[in-house]
Amino acid sequence: MPLFGKSQKSPTDVVKALKEAVNSLEKGDKKAEKAQEDVSKNLVLIKNMLYGTSDTEPQTDIIVAQLAQELYNSNLLLLLIQNLNRIDFEGKKDVAQVFNNILRRQIGTRSPTVEYICTKPEILFTLMTGYEHQEIALNCGTMLRECARYEALAKIMLYSDDFYNFFRYVEVSTFDIASDAFSTFKELLTRHKILCADFLETNYEKVFDHYQSLLNSENYVTRRQSLKLLGELLLDRHNFTVMTRYISNPDNLKLMMNMLKERSRNIQFEAFHVFKVFVANPNKPKPILDILLRNQERLVDFLMKFHTDRAEDEQFNDEKAYLIRQIQELRPAGGH
Amino acid sequence: MNKNMCNISENVEENTEEAEMANRIFRVESDEELRPLSDVENPVLWMNENADLDDDLSFPNISNFFHRVDSSQILYETKKRRLKMIGKYVMGDLLGEGSYGKVKEMLDSENLCRRAVKILKRRKLRRIPNGEQNVESLQGMLESTSEKKFPLLQAHGYFTQLIDGLEYLHSKRIIHKDIKPGNLLLTLEGDLKISDLGVAETIDLFAKDDTCVQGQGSPAFQPPEIANGVESFPGFKVDVWSSGVTLYNITTGKYPFEGDNIYRLFESIGKGEFAVPSEIEEPLRSLLLGMLEKDPYSRFSLQQIRQHAWFMRKPPKTSKEVPIPPLQGDSLHRMTVLPYLEEHYYDFTNMEDDCSTHYITEKELNDQKKESAEHNNGKALVRQNSKRKWKKISCLTMRSFPGCKQS
Repeated sequence: MPLFGKSQKSPTDVVKALKEAVNSLEKGDKKAEKAQEDVSKNLVLIKNMLYGTSDTEPQTDIIVAQLAQELYNSNLLLLLIQNLNRIDFEGKKDVAQVFNNILRRQIGTRSPTVEYICTKPEILFTLMTGYEHQEIALNCGTMLRECARYEALAKIMLYSDDFYNFFRYVEVSTFDIASDAFSTFKELLTRHKILCADFLETNYEKVFDHYQSLLNSENYVTRRQSLKLLGELLLDRHNFTVMTRYISNPDNLKLMMNMLKERSRNIQFEAFHVFKVFVANPNKPKPILDILLRNQERLVDFLMKFHTDRAEDEQFNDEKAYLIRQIQELRPAGGH
Repeated sequence: MNKNMCNISENVEENTEEAEMANRIFRVESDEELRPLSDVENPVLWMNENADLDDDLSFPNISNFFHRVDSSQILYETKKRRLKMIGKYVMGDLLGEGSYGKVKEMLDSENLCRRAVKILKRRKLRRIPNGEQNVESLQGMLESTSEKKFPLLQAHGYFTQLIDGLEYLHSKRIIHKDIKPGNLLLTLEGDLKISDLGVAETIDLFAKDDTCVQGQGSPAFQPPEIANGVESFPGFKVDVWSSGVTLYNITTGKYPFEGDNIYRLFESIGKGEFAVPSEIEEPLRSLLLGMLEKDPYSRFSLQQIRQHAWFMRKPPKTSKEVPIPPLQGDSLHRMTVLPYLEEHYYDFTNMEDDCSTHYITEKELNDQKKESAEHNNGKALVRQNSKRKWKKISCLTMRSFPGCKQS
């Protein structure tokens, strides 16, 4: 407690005041301006309790615990996120900072906020729809990625129907939002190896059906990023089962062969890293083998001339030489 | 031209101060024996002794560079820093030695990043490592402490980073096989880097599981299945075991298994019986027991380690963190390549018949330049000329070493 000056407001008071202010902001009555001011003021108070200021230390654990408890009880986190677009610019950033700090809080091995959000998954879904509103998309993005660090929360998001909205968000016309959505999307699909592998296996059809649209996107950045991520996903040992399934589908091979011929060299290069898995597969299914055989000579010619200027990339050249040899030695499966 | 040189060097200095200390280990194979710096023939001295060599720079007398000078004719200096390059790396001082070869600090001349480079001797490549002594690693830090262990909080920080790194390696189908404190390097920011993939194995892209047949890491860190000579075993669990021994080691200062010789050691590991010191409390105790489970199939997976209570909870701060020990007495770990570069670009000592070698800082250099420019214009000009000659020749001599490029 400071000896001089105003005595500190208790967490209960601040949370209550903030909730009232957000409520009246939501109603949008004529006191809106005053409400806006109150929201900003109380958000700063909460932020300072958690982070401290240049003059003051963050509050003690007891106060922070009280604050967290009040936030859970009052359901304020959800309310703040639902009304994020009504809060002013600085306030939006404060909400994200408060949210992320409270989320990281640990008691022993427990993360109480994570447990709380598990019981209130609307928070996650509201954050995800944030990508549809330009003015709050990036704030929601930082909060989402913080959530994605926790396996339990990532699981809720992955297994929800809302997850498939990401296939739309990563293609929106505003570049920074699309990029932000893509990094959240990638985080969800790669962060927790076992969870992600299970998810991709159980939802293989649906996910790769959607993924196809990214690979065929009109948008160059989407095409390139999604192709790169595809390569990373397939080559990750944890996704072994998914990879074997992906490389036995001839449609996927056709798509990669077309991407090898794309105008962009970067896309050609990324496609190479997926294409090589089809060829290296020691147990190629007949449809795959047939496609490769039908194009045997053309593929060899093509690969001979493929990115010959990458002389310094030893691994690439080794792989390319290996593929050429493999394709040259392809023979139709006997008797079929 | 000389001015350019100075500018380049200034940039080098500025950038390297900011350059990230990246402890990546590069392997540079070198047939060439590393000669001690002091008895390398010094081309600079040699040229100056022939002061009246003509100025025809386009035809340097090539035979001079291969000319052998009798030892009696060489002027030895206390410590002559002679710039040397291997490939694109500018060499600094020795950081440490292992059974494979030496590790030297180097500067990547293309991106100005600090590197530690391991120089292997070809004939040593066949040998399997044993009790390596290492560089700027957790091992070095452990040895700098009296109890040979870290406070739990610090150990937890390194261990969680190790598990992150292992998960990444395993996702790339790589089994490290030689995880131990000596192979875990630290940046000055406290970031852990897993190094030395010398005995690592990549499992085939299409292999059904992670079965492997060879084990060749450091004995004290080998799992029972390798100690017992089992024909094949799951590879990823080898790294889990070694990480378990590593965690045991950095939290207790001891090893779970010991033996007077490698046979006794393997006998002890093979039985898989060990004791966790009584001061180790739950949940760390059960984590160690899970990671050092004799049967690789019931041993913890990385996922289980992640979900373990000790992993998820940061231990409270108990004692002071063990600091990174100073590098050759320098607690700031200043780059050892710099003096070589300074010497290479700024060396005046021989011009002035001054035989005592000493460091020249940039300020001193500038002062000297100013002084000579003010007091003796004519002489300064001559000196610039002679310096140009020296410069070119010094670059040319670099060529007589394999793999050296003109900088």
